[in-house]
Amino acid sequence: MPLLEVASISKSFGGNQAVKSLSFTLETGEILGLIGPNGAGKTTAFNMIAGYFPPDTGEVRFKGENIAGLRAWDISHRKIARTFQLSKPFGDLTVLENVMVGGFHHQGSRAAARRKAEEVLAFVGMAAQAGIEAHNLTVVDRKRLELARCLATDPELLLLDEVVAGATPSEAVAMMEMIRKIRDMGITIIMVEHVMRVVMGLSHRVLVLHHGETIAVGDPQTVSRDPVVLKAYLGARYAHA
Amino acid sequence: MATEPGGRHRVVTATAAVGILLLTVPLAVTDDYYLHVLIATLYFAYMASAWNIVCGYTGQLSLGHSALSGIGGYISTLLLINAGLSPWIGMFVGALWATVVGVLVGWPCFRLRGPYFALTTIAFAEILRIWTENTEEIFGIELRGAQGLSVPLKGHVPTLFQFDGKVPYYYIILAMLVAVMAITWWMERSRMGFYLKAIRADQDGAEALGVNSARYLLSAMAVSSFLTALGGSFYAQYFRYINPERNMGLDFSIELALMGIVGGQGTVVGPILGAFLLTPAGEITRATLGGKFPGLHIVIYGLVLILAMLFLPKGLIQPLRRLVARRPAASGAVAPQTKA
Repeated sequence: MPLLEVASISKSFGGNQAVKSLSFTLETGEILGLIGPNGAGKTTAFNMIAGYFPPDTGEVRFKGENIAGLRAWDISHRKIARTFQLSKPFGDLTVLENVMVGGFHHQGSRAAARRKAEEVLAFVGMAAQAGIEAHNLTVVDRKRLELARCLATDPELLLLDEVVAGATPSEAVAMMEMIRKIRDMGITIIMVEHVMRVVMGLSHRVLVLHHGETIAVGDPQTVSRDPVVLKAYLGARYAHA
Repeated sequence: MATEPGGRHRVVTATAAVGILLLTVPLAVTDDYYLHVLIATLYFAYMASAWNIVCGYTGQLSLGHSALSGIGGYISTLLLINAGLSPWIGMFVGALWATVVGVLVGWPCFRLRGPYFALTTIAFAEILRIWTENTEEIFGIELRGAQGLSVPLKGHVPTLFQFDGKVPYYYIILAMLVAVMAITWWMERSRMGFYLKAIRADQDGAEALGVNSARYLLSAMAVSSFLTALGGSFYAQYFRYINPERNMGLDFSIELALMGIVGGQGTVVGPILGAFLLTPAGEITRATLGGKFPGLHIVIYGLVLILAMLFLPKGLIQPLRRLVARRPAASGAVAPQTKA
């Protein structure tokens, strides 16, 4: 049984069909890249999987259970975690306290939540910043903090929304390294990303959305040579390049 | 917030000093008027702290807490008048009812985003006040409308919450304040406190981490309502008189919110600081200037508010925090984390 099975989910806002009959499956341990031009429906797809709004039609089956329409916190308790395109840390809490919010996920005890948070902070390399109030962090550190918060909930599936956006090339490389390490821990990942080098370097499979429709799915090399994909990204003139 | 060992030591010392001061004050202050100002200050500190549990920690603004206080005061007083039940028990009956009401008001609002909670609390409190003002009697129970209710005098009967002199009331409200502080402190360090602060900062982000925001907001509202109603009962028994305007009015709700905000919401000590600044400022200016220059005390009260908000937007707690966080000069304490 696949870990996640998305079965023709659709969503429209008024007359705008944001996602049209999206289907894919995901095996445990896989990294799936979700790409597409701006407005392709990537974040909408995330929001449907993570419970921020229900799909109009279709099912999202996680470990065999249909989770479409469940609320965000219920989905979190089924061990799916997500990051947001715009990372907003809990600003007046320290970095450690931010991660402890995730650490309280499975245990009510403050000491256990703190232990979990310290462990995760060490993993993402932010142990030295534990006492800083989170609003003082740089954009990239905010992304790392958000990742740490997610990891503190012990997810099995992680939805990453543009985690390298705003990073310098070397920071992006470090983030890729981290994502690999997270995958090696056995966590399955879906990532929305604009930086092609990152998606192509990390994903086992890539799914391309365009105007809410799936226009290609496959391994990164095949997809990157697909004329339909090139046309969507670069315009018709480059389709044969 | 993470305070380093030196800071914690300083907090303990300061708390002990303030505690001893508050315990011994009635020995020094024998003037009834000043003792009354002190009791009023502690009472407002208690009420603002109860308000703070839902509003300060979650960022949801209630301007209807006076209704919860009124429910507590009316129920405990009505039970004493009509059933002879001691307010010591009646205050908990009132608090339970206020909790039910608070949860019912919060229920729909916490499922929505936006100013609905603030608007609903105002509307609810005003409806309750106007209804009470215009109801002389219900189910054979006398409410006496706008005139309000007087607590029948029984003399010095501690079991009925009636004492000679003001000193016992001082210690009762001091104990209540210590209790609400302890509850707040405990909550702040628990899972609930972390979740409430996460909801305040970013509700979507909190929900992504498994926080059922509506449930935690309602829990906070329930605790806050319960404690607010207990305070309302204290007020009724202390003044031996309650009426809809003073106990359920919008002014009272706004005052609580101002104390919380001026002192520093979402902290244990903030609302207490607010009450200790604004209550005496209000009382003393009213007493000294109210007769000669009508309205001037409100102007001064307003000025104090403006200055506080202008210079200490995060509340009076702000400079105090910095003082606590500063590293003691000649000790081996771990240096506090520098803020980048």
